[in-house]
Amino acid sequence: MTQPDKGPVRPRHNVKIVRKNNRMEIPSSLDYLPKVDQFVESKLKKLRIKKDQLVDIAISVSEIVTNAVMHGNKNDLGKKVKINVEASPSQVEVIVEDEGTGFDPSSVECRLDPESLLKEAGRGILIVDSLMDKVEILCGPGKGTKVKIVKLLR
Amino acid sequence: MKLSSRDVGDVMVLEPKGKIMGGPDATVLHDKLHEFIDQDKKKVVIDLAKVDWMNSTGLGILISGLTTLRNNGGELKLANVTDKIQSLLTITKLITVFEAHDSVDDAVASFSK
Ligand SMILES: Nc1ncnc2c1ncn2[C@@H]1O[C@H](COP(=O)(O)OP(=O)(O)O)[C@@H](O)[C@H]1O
Ligand SMILES: [Mg+2]
Repeated sequence: MTQPDKGPVRPRHNVKIVRKNNRMEIPSSLDYLPKVDQFVESKLKKLRIKKDQLVDIAISVSEIVTNAVMHGNKNDLGKKVKINVEASPSQVEVIVEDEGTGFDPSSVECRLDPESLLKEAGRGILIVDSLMDKVEILCGPGKGTKVKIVKLLR
Repeated sequence: MKLSSRDVGDVMVLEPKGKIMGGPDATVLHDKLHEFIDQDKKKVVIDLAKVDWMNSTGLGILISGLTTLRNNGGELKLANVTDKIQSLLTITKLITVFEAHDSVDDAVASFSK
């Protein structure tokens, strides 16, 4: 990419959505969820993927991007969420990265006892775990969170 | 997601269409449910026939609507739950919380039983 000769260089946070090959970068707002969904679908439509598998991936991506936006970046528009889609005939892998402070996945549990059932939140990771074949959550101190989800295309 | 609604007698039928994933369209569904409560319309059916999928944000909205309606002496019922949503309700055990019917007519009729 070449910068224009004249005029100020645009600060990064003015760039709303960046799309390049298999990568997409969005500001931290849930308003961009439909764009992310379109992007993922556009990367998968060339594959011979069953409707059902596509839906599992779409739901899961919406969950982890929601978490990256809300819990990781805390809806801070200056922080970005990166989405990377690697699709092959045998599997689809999506990596979502945020600029938050990470969390301890082992401390997160979705409670399914009758008293907890009417809670409005807390089911995202449970759903992703059941829809995808592999879920890896990587957090490092001061590094944000990176979540990798894989769907095998049997 | 697009949202339309109609009334069948004193029962409000909500018809979301598309994907319920959070962000602006989820707010629309949440606000509509709470608008009904403000207007003292307490019998609500959500017709899910045209919903492609929803995520946990969508489930959270359904629960919020259900709880608020029940706290006000009303009820929220589901109609035409698709296989995918059915499996989400099973995974999360919410299947035990919602009353689901095979058609909007059945759901509406169940209010007068
Ligand atoms: N990217 C993230 N950064 C920080 N915390 C996270 C992230 N993703 C998930 N979490 C934590 O894990 C919890 C469970 O996530 P989830 O199952 O999606 O439920 P919910 O998002 O509804 O709270 C969140 O409440 C949050 O505390
Ligand atoms: Mg979540």
